[in-house]
Amino acid sequence: MALLEAHDLTKTFRRPEKDPGLRGSFKHLFQRKYSTKTAVGGVDLSIEAGEAVAYVGPNGAGKSTTIKLLTGIVEPTSGEVRIGGLVPHRNRVANSRQIGVLFGQRTQLWWDLPVRESLALLRDMYDLSPDRFRAQLKRFDEVLGLDELLPVVARKLSLGQRMRADLACALLHDPRIVFLDEPTIGLDIAVKDRVREFLRQLKAEGTTIMLTTHDLGDIEDTCERIVIIDGGRVIYDGSLAQVKDRYARERRVHLQLGSELTVTELADRFPQATVTAGAEGRREFTIAFDKAELTAGAVLAGVAQIAEVLEVKIDEPAIEDVVRKVYAGELLLAEGSTP
Amino acid sequence: MVAETLFAVRRNARLYRRSLGAVVRAVLEYVADFWILIAAGIVTQSLGLVFLSVVMSRVPHLNGWSYPEMVLIYGLAGVSSGIVPVLSDGIWQLASFIHNGQLDYALTRPAPPLMQVMSAWVGFNGVGDLVASAAMLTWALTRVDVHWTPLNVLILLILMISGIALRLAMCVVANTVSFWLRMPMPMFAMTAWQVGELARYPLGIYGFGLRFLLGAAAPFAFAGFFPAAWLLDRGGYAWLGILTPVVAVLWWIFAVWLFRRGLRRYDSAGH
Ligand SMILES: Nc1ncnc2c1ncn2[C@@H]1O[C@H](COP(=O)(O)OP(=O)(O)OP(=O)(O)O)[C@@H](O)[C@H]1O
Ligand SMILES: [Mg+2]
Repeated sequence: MALLEAHDLTKTFRRPEKDPGLRGSFKHLFQRKYSTKTAVGGVDLSIEAGEAVAYVGPNGAGKSTTIKLLTGIVEPTSGEVRIGGLVPHRNRVANSRQIGVLFGQRTQLWWDLPVRESLALLRDMYDLSPDRFRAQLKRFDEVLGLDELLPVVARKLSLGQRMRADLACALLHDPRIVFLDEPTIGLDIAVKDRVREFLRQLKAEGTTIMLTTHDLGDIEDTCERIVIIDGGRVIYDGSLAQVKDRYARERRVHLQLGSELTVTELADRFPQATVTAGAEGRREFTIAFDKAELTAGAVLAGVAQIAEVLEVKIDEPAIEDVVRKVYAGELLLAEGSTP
Repeated sequence: MVAETLFAVRRNARLYRRSLGAVVRAVLEYVADFWILIAAGIVTQSLGLVFLSVVMSRVPHLNGWSYPEMVLIYGLAGVSSGIVPVLSDGIWQLASFIHNGQLDYALTRPAPPLMQVMSAWVGFNGVGDLVASAAMLTWALTRVDVHWTPLNVLILLILMISGIALRLAMCVVANTVSFWLRMPMPMFAMTAWQVGELARYPLGIYGFGLRFLLGAAAPFAFAGFFPAAWLLDRGGYAWLGILTPVVAVLWWIFAVWLFRRGLRRYDSAGH
């Protein structure tokens, strides 16, 4: 059995239906009307130990709600979840020892306490020995630069510092599986890189990871599997490489030349590609092609025969592009579903 | 089984203590607040006593109770209600936790969520309440007409502890209602707390409705009046005082059950 099994997981929220204004609120007091909103509708998911899964989808797709269902924070309306054989919302205490959770928009640090004290409280809850605790702090210091944050009161931390401290909180007890809901939200490039490095390390150590993000750079190096959700339903579940391979084959080579050429000259040379001129007119070009039909190497070699190449930049499509296509409803991923 | 339970109780007691300790250290960052809150507690209690004294200076006996006896009830009830903010002020934040979806992390940690909520804050005003009430209680105990034996001292202690436990359980129940009411403020619990203030006077001065409310439906009277009546051997209903531990245990069972039911309704918040 897989480490995490979710079957037909569904959560509907009940929303009061009020007319706008005070009058509407008053009316609601006497005539209660509710509408239901299905945040997650029939999600099936199975995650093996050691897997790293990216869980992506547009705003309001139901990602955070799924994580809350999987971690036992909210009870599903129907369907079931098991992590390591435990039902999270029935065995909260036992389950919490095997999972780690981070919600990027919300901290679990005690607001008025220094980071060190928050970690110490968690140490007590998770029954960590002083030696283990020290070893963990040392480990977090190496990748997350935790030491400088330890004496700082949580409410005085910057967003990036807070996120680093929260990552330490989520992983203090060496959980078998971690759920990270937007762990890089609002971070600058430097901190993002740190967090990504940390994720790679976790993955290498064999921790199972489920990660949601809108920044797909977070997942490219860490996750081999991607689950795309929209409107509360899984619309793709499969390998990230396969998605990229199938739907992200376009490559773009940007060239800066030492001598002048025309678009037609280049287009004639590469009939399979689309050539466009750059800002600098006849010395700058972008050549876009399908990587199954042409290679970047062939393009470079071909151009070098007719002009001096000063600078080259090759763009691989980010997984963003693929997901954007899915969002826009361009892709029906039926063939790729569930490997 | 017994050993396991005992271990769990000790573990949770330790976690509770550490949690409160951490909050105390945090609050001590604002030292001025700390003293102001304690002073506020003492002033509030003293004002209540002044009111009582004014009334009693006109009528030496109220419903058959002398002034020191009235102070005894007043002090007993004050001690139990003063400890609530010290031990479990976090429970008053439950409504806003629910409203803002702030219970999320508490539900992913290996400690009882109710305990994490209760120990999320310490109300230092309770320290003031406690100091003033303990002073009144001491004063009253040395003046009331009681034949002290080791046994009734012990029983009084047990009744006081049970009264405190009962107040805590009632406070948990009143705040747990927030899982159903979904308001950002614990309005229900605040009202209930005000009702509890009525139980600082002899029950006999009230009509049947209030007597039923304070003695049975929301039995605040067990956290002051009934134990005092038992101690003073008032006859009639006074034996009810000895039931305080039973009432406290029943209310705790109800509180824990209700909180669990409430958690099942918890929906977090969007995002
Ligand atoms: N506690 C709640 N009560 C009512 N509706 C909710 C609640 N939580 C989420 N929703 C609704 O459920 C839907 C899914 O929300 P969810 O937070 O899971 O989306 P998400 O995929 O995490 O989006 P984002 O990328 O914006 O974080 C939304 O339409 C949201 O309005
Ligand atoms: Mg979200």
